[in-house]
Amino acid sequence: MHDATAMESIAPTRPRSQSWRIFRSHRYGMLGLALLVIFGIMAMSHPILMSTILDRARYDPIVGFDSVYFPHPTGPSITHPLGTDNYGRDVMSQLLYGARVSFGVGIVAGIVAAVVSTLSGGLAGYFRGWVDHLLMGVADIMVLLPAPVVLLIFGLLVRMEWIVLGVLYGILAGAGALAIIVKSHTLTLREKPFVEAAQSVGGSDRHIFRTHLLPGILPLTTVNFFFTVVGAILTESLLSYFNRTQVDLSWGTMIWIGQETFRAFTMEGQWHAILAPALAIMLLCSAFYLVGRALDDVLNPRLRRR
Amino acid sequence: MLGFIVRRILRGVVALLAFQFLLFALVHSLPGDFASIAGAFSGPGGRAFMQRQLGLDQPLLQQYFDWLKGFVQLDFGQSFLYRPETVSGILLDRAPRTLLLFLSAAALSYVLGIWLGKIVAWRRGGLFEFGALTVGVAAHTSFAPWLAFLGLGLFAWNLRWLPYQNLINFNVWLRVDISLDEILLRLVISGFALFGVFLLARLISRKGTRGRRVIGAGTFLLAVLLVVALWERSGYSPLALDVLRHLMLPLGTVVLLSFGETMMTMRATMLETIGDDHVVAARAKGLPDKVVRDRHVARIAMLPVLTRILLSLPFVLVGSLVIERVFFWRAMGQVVFNAIEFQDLPLIVGVLTMIGLISLVAHIVLDVLYVALDPRLRYA
Repeated sequence: MHDATAMESIAPTRPRSQSWRIFRSHRYGMLGLALLVIFGIMAMSHPILMSTILDRARYDPIVGFDSVYFPHPTGPSITHPLGTDNYGRDVMSQLLYGARVSFGVGIVAGIVAAVVSTLSGGLAGYFRGWVDHLLMGVADIMVLLPAPVVLLIFGLLVRMEWIVLGVLYGILAGAGALAIIVKSHTLTLREKPFVEAAQSVGGSDRHIFRTHLLPGILPLTTVNFFFTVVGAILTESLLSYFNRTQVDLSWGTMIWIGQETFRAFTMEGQWHAILAPALAIMLLCSAFYLVGRALDDVLNPRLRRR
Repeated sequence: MLGFIVRRILRGVVALLAFQFLLFALVHSLPGDFASIAGAFSGPGGRAFMQRQLGLDQPLLQQYFDWLKGFVQLDFGQSFLYRPETVSGILLDRAPRTLLLFLSAAALSYVLGIWLGKIVAWRRGGLFEFGALTVGVAAHTSFAPWLAFLGLGLFAWNLRWLPYQNLINFNVWLRVDISLDEILLRLVISGFALFGVFLLARLISRKGTRGRRVIGAGTFLLAVLLVVALWERSGYSPLALDVLRHLMLPLGTVVLLSFGETMMTMRATMLETIGDDHVVAARAKGLPDKVVRDRHVARIAMLPVLTRILLSLPFVLVGSLVIERVFFWRAMGQVVFNAIEFQDLPLIVGVLTMIGLISLVAHIVLDVLYVALDPRLRYA
């Protein structure tokens, strides 16, 4: 108790337990976190299930085929809790497999975007001058086109595996609008007296950037990480839906395949094949979005007074 | 202020030119070109002939400067794929519809988002907040075509209220002497006029006495009647109604997709501002609840929302491109796909320049608005 108060007066940030308490008071954030855990378990359980209880020939998400049930697609049953698609593959197994792809694309894109935006926005804001002109010139070009359109062109140049897609999306998002936001935030930070103090006692640029500016930029980057993840997952499924990626199977592909048996949009036919991946995209993205929103409140210093 | 705007526009133009050159280089570096895709079965001689005809055998810089020479004279060149249509012809044909959907969806979703965010932040913890947040977040994060399918399934298939696809019903448009673009333009003008009168009416009725409120409502009602009468008198009202009916589902889908983001941002910034000293002072003065909310909290909370619009604009744009493809509109979404698929160089550069120009204008407007709304930035 005694130690905690002492630490609070010295440390610029709050103890971790206090942040957690604020986060826990956000019901929507907790809901998002719970959903994230569930989807994480789903993604991790798939390889384990495949190597233990599920029959590879029957339940493989890509080359599996159920020869007992006919005709495909079949509706939900005990052997196939979410039915099968029109190639005779188990939808449940595909859904679990697709969770891994979505998580992968989202998190890779989020990390790349966080690193790129912190570096380009932070450096432009700190050094100004020609570094600023160069990096913000790049950002000006990046914001002209929405990332999915650029990725359509890149799709003709490289094979769009999920990791390539994630990295490219991260660069496109991170060097554009996010960099501009981080830069304007850095501009306000560098006018603070502690930066001037550090400069006057001869602190190197590297030292000032790392110990004085980065802690101020990181909350913003952390929050934006979650929103980038949402954008990346939606973009991946959109491009896969239009068949413009080489991801072997993802939720977007599942919707695209499911649509063949969906009889356009009449809500008739095999609705389950399209409902499951669509709901999964929505829930996973909402989870990331809600956690991001709650973190925004936790990390935002203006809300601490409340 | 004027200097700031001029500098901002110059920076944008430079970025746009650099962007065009990068596009040229990117498309040039792709494996294959239009001749190898469209002339896939015409043999090496035929492909070489096609390349010579289209100027694809020239070096990159030569091609770029040839194109640039035309571009400064507003000649975007001729599309390879849609020959003999010119790129500017294709753009003039397709862009108005995309712009209509994008601009109206953006405006509606920001107005709706800011308004809902304001209310939700003011009355916390009710059923209304729960509903608004759930719908907003769920729609914002859902898969765009699927959301459109839900709307189609409900309103077009089950209830049969709205049409499935296209922007017009061709039966209504037989033997009419006016173009679709003209009707769209008039619709946009009427919309803007009504919105302006609405703002004016709110301004009139703000001071709260009953008489002024009646006058405000009366003005707005009169304006609505006037617009309807004008349409009736011109005799084109069936066409306008047809367009509006077709517009309803795509517009609703894009607005649903995008209002959640603005709402959540507005809610968060409102909650930040509510604790400020000046709000406490305003309450202590005994100002009415609504005045405190609208003028002392919401006005300040709007500023950070504008920054986040920077992030959500491309989202709305992609949403409109995708949705108009789902509804089989003859618009930009379809052209973007085909142009990139066939590596139709002039069309890619033309269409993407058009999209870039839309984002550029939006960014410049936002920047200027931001400086205009925040007096602190004016002297920086």
